Amino acid sequence: MAASDPNKLISKADKLTRLSLTRWNADWKSATVLYEQAANGFRVARDYVNAKIAYEKASKGQEMLASPWDAAKHLESAAALAKDLSNWQEVGDFYRRASELYMECGRPQPASDALAKGARALEDSMSEEAIQLYTDACTILEDDGREQMAFDLYRAATNVYIKLEKYTDAASFMLRLGLAADKCNASNSQCKAYLSAIIIYLYAHDFKQAQQCYNDCYQIDAFVRSDQNRCASKLLAAYSDGDVEEIKRIAQSSTISNLDHVIIRLARKLPTGDVSALKSDNAEDEEQPLDEDDLT
Amino acid sequence: MSVIDILTRVDSICQKYDKYDVAKQRDSNISADDAFAKLYASVDADIEALLQKAETAPKEKTKASTVAINAEIRRTKARLLEEVPKLQRLAMKKVKGLSSQEFAARNDLVLALPDRIQDIPDGTPAPPKRTGGWAASASRPGIKFDSDGRYDDEYFQQTEESSRFRQEYEMRKMKQASLDMIAEGLDTLKNMAHDMNEELDRQVPLMDEIDTKVDKASSDLKNTNVRLRDTVNQLRSSRNFCIDIVLLIIILGIAAYLYK
Repeated sequence: MAASDPNKLISKADKLTRLSLTRWNADWKSATVLYEQAANGFRVARDYVNAKIAYEKASKGQEMLASPWDAAKHLESAAALAKDLSNWQEVGDFYRRASELYMECGRPQPASDALAKGARALEDSMSEEAIQLYTDACTILEDDGREQMAFDLYRAATNVYIKLEKYTDAASFMLRLGLAADKCNASNSQCKAYLSAIIIYLYAHDFKQAQQCYNDCYQIDAFVRSDQNRCASKLLAAYSDGDVEEIKRIAQSSTISNLDHVIIRLARKLPTGDVSALKSDNAEDEEQPLDEDDLT
Repeated sequence: MSVIDILTRVDSICQKYDKYDVAKQRDSNISADDAFAKLYASVDADIEALLQKAETAPKEKTKASTVAINAEIRRTKARLLEEVPKLQRLAMKKVKGLSSQEFAARNDLVLALPDRIQDIPDGTPAPPKRTGGWAASASRPGIKFDSDGRYDDEYFQQTEESSRFRQEYEMRKMKQASLDMIAEGLDTLKNMAHDMNEELDRQVPLMDEIDTKVDKASSDLKNTNVRLRDTVNQLRSSRNFCIDIVLLIIILGIAAYLYK
């Protein structure tokens, strides 16, 4: 097939679908077939722009033929090509639309997969949009009751937040991961999520928040019985003592080395800021009640 | 100076000044009416005093005073050796308020006494003990620690014990290091096992779904096969064959007619 054939196919297909005086019903069936052939031809010829357009039209045709599955598949291919073209807005739109079509088919798993793929493509360029896509993907999975699949998505979203230096959001995502893990009785992931949240708070140098987080997590049985609990308590104790060496030693321990690599990097950079300030604050709070001269 | 030398010398210092601590300990430990304990305490005190005297002996200016001190030491040693059988008899007696372990321990203490008494240096040449490895420390003239060359063998006697301790310490250190490595490896294994567990849990419902779908697909196939077999059988029925053959003959006839 010559390279101009895809163009011819496209124009033929367009003619089939354009309504005019002689044609009152668009012939979507043959048009869709032609569009698909054209798209393949363009892709082989590495003409990504036209291939993308052809895929879009093919997907529209499939929609008209009431087969949302094929439509969604074509949109995904179109989106992948848009990613190669660095056309980020279109990438997001295509993946969203594909995910909606998958949901129409009643298949939430591929829907969330499509959103996840979109988010991964947009991580570097449109991080906010990527996070939105991750969140939506997680929501879809949770509604379907498949939280287990959502773990990876939560972790990826947290990584993006950390890259954007939005630590509170990152920590809250980790806590959502913990919640999802709790529902599926995945205690190891749950405890790792809580420990990661505490580390993120400490990295943001928000000791009170970290302490609060630890106290909240302490209510949960699975966490209390775990290694991660011991590691967290040691870390917080080292922080309140202002012992930098101890903090560094705990950060090298194997419990922390089993977490996600982004979290490990944060932990190795602890302590940020002035730990002795925390120590003096705590010491002042403790000395007041010991004032023996106070007769009240 | 190596760490080993430092350790050895610290041992000697501690031993030299331990007599103060030991006395206090003994005073607090002795209960009122325990004859054995009192006698043993006094014998112990005598031994320590003798040891001290033995250490001061070489520092005397004149040979005569050294000889006198040595004689004194020998006399006291003989006296103490006579006390030992008395102590043994006392140790055999059961005293109320004494646990059986302590009773056994007393026996051992009494048995160890004669050796201790003999070991007190009194100027007679003692058998050489482990002089080989310690030439290095003996050859440092500038650093003196309450002894000269003459007391090198007592030094070495002490270091026999301290070298045993040192060996034990090093063995324990090695064991601790290897145990640490094992612990780290186990931590990694535990984490991997947990993750594998969760992954398998994740895949169980997927496998169930696959199971259902495959069952459905295979039953569909079976149905289709049965129907296909029926259809083909119907098509291949003998009546159809005859019709096919007849028609074929007719066509061949027409062709032959046309070509003739």
